[in-house]
Amino acid sequence: MARITLERVGHRYGHAPYALEPFDMVLEDGRSYALLGPSGCGKTTMLNIISGVVRPSEGRILLDDRDVTVVPISGRNVAQVFQFPVIYQSKSVYENLAFPLRCRRWPIARIKARVAEIADLLDLSGRLGKPAWQLTVDEKQLISLGRGLVRDDVAALLMDEPLTVIDPQMKFQLRRKLKAVSQKARHTVIYVTHDQNEAMTFADEILVMSAGKVVQRGTPQELFERPRTTYVGYFIGSPSMNVFDAEIGAGGVMIGGTPIAPGGALPSGLPTSGLRVGIRPEYASLAQPEDSDTLAATVVGVQDHGSVRIVEVAIGTARARLKLGRDIAPPSAQARIRLRRDKLCLFVDDHLIAAGI
Amino acid sequence: MNGSGFRAYKLAFLLPGLLILLAIILFPLIFTIRVSFSSWDAITPGLNNAGGINYAKLFGDVRYWQSLGRLSLMAVGTVLLQYLLGLGLALLVWREVKLRRFFRVLFLVPMMTTPVVMSVVWRTIFHESLGPANDLLGMVGLGPFQWLTSASTAIVSVMIVEVWQWTPFMFLLLLAGLLSLPREPYLAAAIDGAGPIRTFFNVTLPLLAPVSIGALIIRLIEASKIMETVYVLTSGGPGTATETTGYYIYIRGLRDFEIGYASALSITYLVIMIVALTIIAKLLVKVFIGERT
Repeated sequence: MARITLERVGHRYGHAPYALEPFDMVLEDGRSYALLGPSGCGKTTMLNIISGVVRPSEGRILLDDRDVTVVPISGRNVAQVFQFPVIYQSKSVYENLAFPLRCRRWPIARIKARVAEIADLLDLSGRLGKPAWQLTVDEKQLISLGRGLVRDDVAALLMDEPLTVIDPQMKFQLRRKLKAVSQKARHTVIYVTHDQNEAMTFADEILVMSAGKVVQRGTPQELFERPRTTYVGYFIGSPSMNVFDAEIGAGGVMIGGTPIAPGGALPSGLPTSGLRVGIRPEYASLAQPEDSDTLAATVVGVQDHGSVRIVEVAIGTARARLKLGRDIAPPSAQARIRLRRDKLCLFVDDHLIAAGI
Repeated sequence: MNGSGFRAYKLAFLLPGLLILLAIILFPLIFTIRVSFSSWDAITPGLNNAGGINYAKLFGDVRYWQSLGRLSLMAVGTVLLQYLLGLGLALLVWREVKLRRFFRVLFLVPMMTTPVVMSVVWRTIFHESLGPANDLLGMVGLGPFQWLTSASTAIVSVMIVEVWQWTPFMFLLLLAGLLSLPREPYLAAAIDGAGPIRTFFNVTLPLLAPVSIGALIIRLIEASKIMETVYVLTSGGPGTATETTGYYIYIRGLRDFEIGYASALSITYLVIMIVALTIIAKLLVKVFIGERT
């Protein structure tokens, strides 16, 4: 268990542009972090730098206060779960779990006790004698995790999209188990994923990445309520945030000529161009008769997602999506909608300058 | 569509393939079986009906069974050596990227040369008084050895040439296998703290098992037909010390013209080989992969 410090760490492959632009970051001991971003955004590069697979072209990495920048994988005391389960095919489940301890020359009695403890934690106790190749994919993934957990010298537990090859039904259970187990073990966990649901449910803090940069770091709630850029707004949430081009007029912030929050407190010195307004589909709703500040909208389409319906509407020339509960009847052609003023995000040049107007 | 009934057009589609198969595989085989039940030889050529006399004779033919025993020793011995050497070489150049191209070509030279030609070259090398083998060993105070004229060394000489010629094939197959291995198991082993030896036995060897089995079986099938090397190097001698089954059948059939008897030997040899190689293949799978099949 350790605090991970990255000092001006950056990486480029050969002379290519930065895969990871130089940045500073501290990951606190015992917390779980998710690296979230689309393919090619640098999240795996960052993970590989921490695990020691890749040596960064710039900067230093410290585990607690130990500089491990040039230390190879074996000397770093990290554990890693890969995208595809990695097991020792020729060994039993017990031998798989005992392998890291045998490499560390633990006495047999101690290995036995430790493996039993971890197998119990992972619900693998009943399968210890089985050949590992006979297990299902999700159980194999648990073995990969278990080989990290049995060790007592693990500074950080790294997971590289560990649920990619798991069936959707098993995914949910395995994710819960990964979370429970890693919380119990109180490891510093870094979890790489491009699935925002996994990131939101798994981690204490999420680092959203884009094109080699950490765009925003925060709790799932912060990312949802106050996305620092429109990119984060798009990336987090399903469906993504509605973002409209906006201007400042007589009635305050206007979308397509319609004021959306008359009389709102606007930050001073707003520029005249590059202004955009964002709102989560969860915070847009059909207006009730007594509501003020409503907008006229034309219904373009309705998607049924089971528990909710996504209603797509046109407000002037802008498009927006609303998330409606199953019990609310979707409007037919014309509707009036209401955007929660306290949840409006104001962006200038795609950067958040105010949340709530 | 109703696929169960016989349709003439189905036969029409199958027939060309079936006929070719019959012509090139089954006909020679069936013809040989037929010949083995005849007493076709130099004096009374032609197919007659001799019953099982050739097979009865074969059971008492000590020279035949000895050649089979010798062949087993040579085949298993050389193939094992080829595997160990090939794997060793492949592991050496596996990570070495710089000279890989050069080594690949260099190692392939023995495989690309004609066995008969190389056997002649080796026969010259092994020449007792004129060959460089004894010259070179003499410089470090060893020998001279009777490479091809003593029973115990002649078989070793034949095996050396076989190993020399076919190790590149093993090397090539195993190198291709190594290069196709995934990277993650090695990272996982490094993370688990395994050293190079543990990594080799727990990661490389199990992952390479399918390729190993394939290479060993292909080579065993090939090695069970050792013929040219023996023919050129020792002609089966001294005495019958290096006579393999293939060479013995050749002597019986094409030098003594006992066509009927040689056919019986061939058919017996074929059956023994099929049974032996099937068992060996099963054993190899068990050794390399254990119960997981």
